[in-house]
Amino acid sequence: MPQYKLDVNGKPYTVTVSDEDMPLLWVLRDLIGLTGTKYGCGIEVCGACMVLVNGEAEKSCDMSVSEAVGRKIVTVEGLAADPQGKAVQAAWEAHQVPQCGFCQPGMMIAATGALKDGHHGREIAEEIENICMCGTYERIRKAVEAL
Amino acid sequence: MQESLPVGRTALDRRSFLTGAGAALIIPFSVTLSPREAAAKGAAAGTAATGPVALGAYISISPANIVTVAIGSTEMGQGIMTGLAQLVAEELGLKWKQVRAVHAPASTAWPNPYGNPIFGAQLTGGSTSMMGWYKPLRTAAAIVRDVLIEAARVQYGGTWTLGTGGQLVGGGTSCKFSDVLATAATLTPPTTASLATTRRFIGKRIPRLDIRAKVRGTAVFGMDVEVPGMVFASVVHCPTLGGTVKSVPASRGGATFVNLGKAVGVVAADTWTAMRTARSIAGSIGWTLPTDLASRDSSTLDALAQDLVRSTSAIRYVAEQDGSPKPANAAVKIDATYTLPFLAHAAMEVMNCTASVTADRCEIWAPTQGQQFIIPAVRAITGLPADAITVNTTFVGGGFGRKIEVDCVEQAVKLSKAVGKPVKLTWSREEDFRNDLYRPSATIRVQAGADAKHAFTGLVYRNVSPSIRLQRTQSDITNPEDTGAVAGAVGLPYRIGARLIEYVPLLPCDIPLGYWRSVGESYNTFAVESAVDELARAAGQDPLAFRKALVSGPGGDSRALGVLTAVETLSGWSKAPPRGSARGVAFLKGFGSYIALVAEVSKSSKAEIDVGKVYCAIDCGLVVNPDSVEGQIQGGIAHGLGAALWNEQRFVNGKPGVSNYDRYPVIKLQQMPTVSVTIVRSAADPGGVGETGVPCVAPAVANAWAELTGTRLRSLPFYPGRRMDDD
Repeated sequence: MPQYKLDVNGKPYTVTVSDEDMPLLWVLRDLIGLTGTKYGCGIEVCGACMVLVNGEAEKSCDMSVSEAVGRKIVTVEGLAADPQGKAVQAAWEAHQVPQCGFCQPGMMIAATGALKDGHHGREIAEEIENICMCGTYERIRKAVEAL
Repeated sequence: MQESLPVGRTALDRRSFLTGAGAALIIPFSVTLSPREAAAKGAAAGTAATGPVALGAYISISPANIVTVAIGSTEMGQGIMTGLAQLVAEELGLKWKQVRAVHAPASTAWPNPYGNPIFGAQLTGGSTSMMGWYKPLRTAAAIVRDVLIEAARVQYGGTWTLGTGGQLVGGGTSCKFSDVLATAATLTPPTTASLATTRRFIGKRIPRLDIRAKVRGTAVFGMDVEVPGMVFASVVHCPTLGGTVKSVPASRGGATFVNLGKAVGVVAADTWTAMRTARSIAGSIGWTLPTDLASRDSSTLDALAQDLVRSTSAIRYVAEQDGSPKPANAAVKIDATYTLPFLAHAAMEVMNCTASVTADRCEIWAPTQGQQFIIPAVRAITGLPADAITVNTTFVGGGFGRKIEVDCVEQAVKLSKAVGKPVKLTWSREEDFRNDLYRPSATIRVQAGADAKHAFTGLVYRNVSPSIRLQRTQSDITNPEDTGAVAGAVGLPYRIGARLIEYVPLLPCDIPLGYWRSVGESYNTFAVESAVDELARAAGQDPLAFRKALVSGPGGDSRALGVLTAVETLSGWSKAPPRGSARGVAFLKGFGSYIALVAEVSKSSKAEIDVGKVYCAIDCGLVVNPDSVEGQIQGGIAHGLGAALWNEQRFVNGKPGVSNYDRYPVIKLQQMPTVSVTIVRSAADPGGVGETGVPCVAPAVANAWAELTGTRLRSLPFYPGRRMDDD
């Protein structure tokens, strides 16, 4: 079975997958045990599976593990070690954004990616296409305003 | 015994929720010691406890003076964990940093100490958690406070009173709760206690206990459970609703296939392999299809409903009657029919459950809002005694009523039993959409009349919809309110000369039905509030003033008037809306609360509805955490907008059309209107909140659109067939 070396949250991992097409999402969740990244739709629509790949927010549900090799992956569990990620988390906590919280790892990754891309405040809100069934958007808007 | 519960799965309708029909109001705060605390009880008074000590069912205190509250309701994002902990913190004079909350275990006792005191069962639904727990939990905490004070007296002598931060004060000195725990555990608690008069927590914007874990990504949802030695599973159900498994292909590729009755389970080394394999074997599974596909076909059901809504020979039940309304003879009249579709729950976290079954035990980890039903379901499969079954409630990634059901739990138990290992079962998103228990469709005819002085003289209302209750019990209707189908149409606070509210069950209908956030109000409020608006316009009246008049004066309802007046002010109703936009209003008395909502809409560049602003006034009685109330209203509005504009599940001969979010669009950040919420001060007991934001959205938007364009929208969703990526 194919083996891959990954860099996740600054740590090296070697994973053995049953199939080279296995998406990064499930490698993170089921093989590495980083369950903060969520499965929502599996078709790159909802954004719950977002991770940072070399600083850019990308959906991991349809990204094969081989595509992740040699790139720096940051999940919600690693956000606190990233200056922009830490700022996003602080804003999320200050504005009490999450309700059920399931989509929020993806939301915070999306916001961090936008911030790293040079967007600020309301521009970040324009960038986030993730969905939240609890409807926490009002608070997300407020949270990104000061970023 | 569980089997003889007066409130069971089959009786989960709104009426028994709210009246406690069949379930005596239980006193859930009896202070009994669990076995773990027996050691503490045996310890000599004055000896420090070495572990947490439970004082009653809900509150335990650790040697480090950390107070943990066990909550019987499920935290699904509504903030109930925090709200209930606030009550305990108030009574015990705590500092917030020493407060924790956990989900209670599923109890097999009856009365269930963790059952909602309103209806007895341990489940979260009907927006009843704060309503049900407010007084009992405060009382329980006050009893614990008095026990601790008494323990200090027994242990040290003299007179003691409650301090702050988990302290007791007496004789010029102080001690911690944790200093007197062993003594407290030996005392017989009083049966009641007076409640605190402080307001340090109740009514305050206290930060939520679950936020930090949810921001750091460490919150454990059902899908995130990890058990040593577990394997991963997914399922494939029959593509046609009601189908059952006839033959299962031979297990292959390292995966194990298990016949689950209505589905085949696939157990594999990881979830992705299980899901992919499940998808790939769908075509090689033998299915037995139901003989009646017409009862699972949207077009057939729609035609039947259109027939029944006008039929004079339909089997009809009178849910409410006052006088003999004759709206057809009125000076001003309307006769309108409204239609609403089946809806999926579409919670972000798909259905999942982890189960570990051994010869003599079963442990469940589930994102559940229906703990009451899990142990009986597990017993039926495993034959294990109730005390051999443990249920762990995880955080829930969206429930909206779907996670009351135990279908996925049953599958996980069967899978674990079959493979002899702990199994984490995760449905694919497609299985989740296609195998939901759907919000019933509804076809509603409203005939309403007003006299020349604009008094609302007569209302004839007929709801045609499939009944959740009837589908589950297969019994006759003894009280049409029991069907849940007329909630939101009965008990209207409007002054109406005469009214007749009828229910006509849509039969036969074999689309699986379930409880969807705001249940009956989710469709009846659309019909009622659209019709009231149509009547006001037909009478040449301002729709908001018309409603205010209907709840004013003798026999009026001051709380209804209060929210209507508040939203009038908040929205600037008396001033003209911004150029190119218009406002619409809707009102609901429901879930023990009152809510009035104004939507401000304009035409988008594609000449479609653009909801720019929503104003909402709510009177939900005493407010424990205003931040949580606002969050629920904001979220309910987002939920209601998706349903108003786009959401629909249709079936063609038993096959569901929608299987993922791409064809079930959810409001996105850029589409979310600005929401202003005002909470009306109220001396009433706490009312419900979680569902109240949803029902008024569609009618308020439709009413605003009628004001803007003159076009009346009577069918939801307003834009069927929309895709997520459509602009």
